[in-house]
Amino acid sequence: MSKPISEEEYRKGMANRLKQWILGEEDPLLGNMEIQQQNEYVPNQKMLRRHKKDRDRVVRDVLDTEHNKHYKRFFRFYKIAAVVSCVALILILLVAVSYLPPVGSADKPVNNEVSAKYIEDGMQETGAVNIVTGMILDYRAFDTFGESNVLFIATCTVLIMLRNDRKKGKHSAEAEEKRDSYYEPKADSILQKITFVLFPIIVIYGIYVILNGHLSPGGGFSGGAIIGAGLILYLNAFGFEKIGRFFTEKTHKWISFAALTFYCLAKSYSFYTGAHHLESGIPLGTPGDIISSGLILPLNICVGLVVACTMYSFYALFRKGGY
Amino acid sequence: MRLIEWAQFIVGTGLLITGLGIFFIQLLGVFKFKYILNRMHAAAMGDTLGIGISLVGLMILTGFNFTTLKMGLIIVFLWLASPVSSHLIARLEVTTNEHLKEFCELPEDTKEEEEQC
Repeated sequence: MSKPISEEEYRKGMANRLKQWILGEEDPLLGNMEIQQQNEYVPNQKMLRRHKKDRDRVVRDVLDTEHNKHYKRFFRFYKIAAVVSCVALILILLVAVSYLPPVGSADKPVNNEVSAKYIEDGMQETGAVNIVTGMILDYRAFDTFGESNVLFIATCTVLIMLRNDRKKGKHSAEAEEKRDSYYEPKADSILQKITFVLFPIIVIYGIYVILNGHLSPGGGFSGGAIIGAGLILYLNAFGFEKIGRFFTEKTHKWISFAALTFYCLAKSYSFYTGAHHLESGIPLGTPGDIISSGLILPLNICVGLVVACTMYSFYALFRKGGY
Repeated sequence: MRLIEWAQFIVGTGLLITGLGIFFIQLLGVFKFKYILNRMHAAAMGDTLGIGISLVGLMILTGFNFTTLKMGLIIVFLWLASPVSSHLIARLEVTTNEHLKEFCELPEDTKEEEEQC
């Protein structure tokens, strides 16, 4: 049973005070909080004089370089010391160079049995006309495998750092890309027409460089870089939507995974057979043909694919944070 | 036969030296000018005319073989790619620079057209 209360009692009650606080009519802190009045600012003459003295000293000793004797002396000494140390370094290097063997002499330490072996037996053993490709993809193929893996790991690291997963809202990849490239010329018709002509040529040239890696200068790394540059050009001209029709994150993942796995398995097989002195059973073909030199051509293709995907995905990640 | 070889040598070297001179002018312009559109103009001139003349000189020097065809293709590629990149730089500068009127004369109604595209 409720008891009627007087108006004065109601005003002191909790409900009324809450209502007044919400409406902002009454300040609940007024009269309840201790507020100290601040003293007026009086500059301390002694401290000011001390600061000014310090400042004058700094200006005199450090900043005023024109009338500073120590400074002038130091810089005269500095110039002389710079000339002397440069000349000394040049002399030391020249003396060291004069002890080197002359260019092309037969008893150089570079001319040992390793390079002679590569040059003499390289074509017969690997089947590649280009000795460099024969070395990096046959004799030292494990090293090249490590390099491809370094590229793949670098992409993964950049992906972890720059990947933007938000689908909607202010910080989503699309919105960020829009903000970043707000002033960039979009759908430029000149660029699109030229890309229409150049993109197939660039890609075909890249494929030619990869496939001719064992016959002429070139190979997986350079050809892959050319194809990656072509993809970046296409992306700049037509945007992410058009390139998403044939190259997405999934494509990149599968291509990299398949290429690296094939490389690893193929090289493991040839290392295994080589270490046990077995016949590998891979025909070398006639040197000079496109399809020759055993495993080198497929390995070149694998390296080229990984490099092209890495180049493109770096660009896409730095631009948008996704594909 | 001797005469043709000499003519080939003189014409080829002359074109090569002309191209190198144009490259020198380009470098001078790129480092001398302050504003981006002027510098871009100088650089684009070297990338098209300078490299074109130099490569034509090299083509004449090597004579008629497969390398000549490759050099011709390089000229075609560069003449397609280099003006387009210059165009993109210029367009980016025109769309982003607010104080464009301080650097070059503009017709009155260009601003509205740019906002449309």
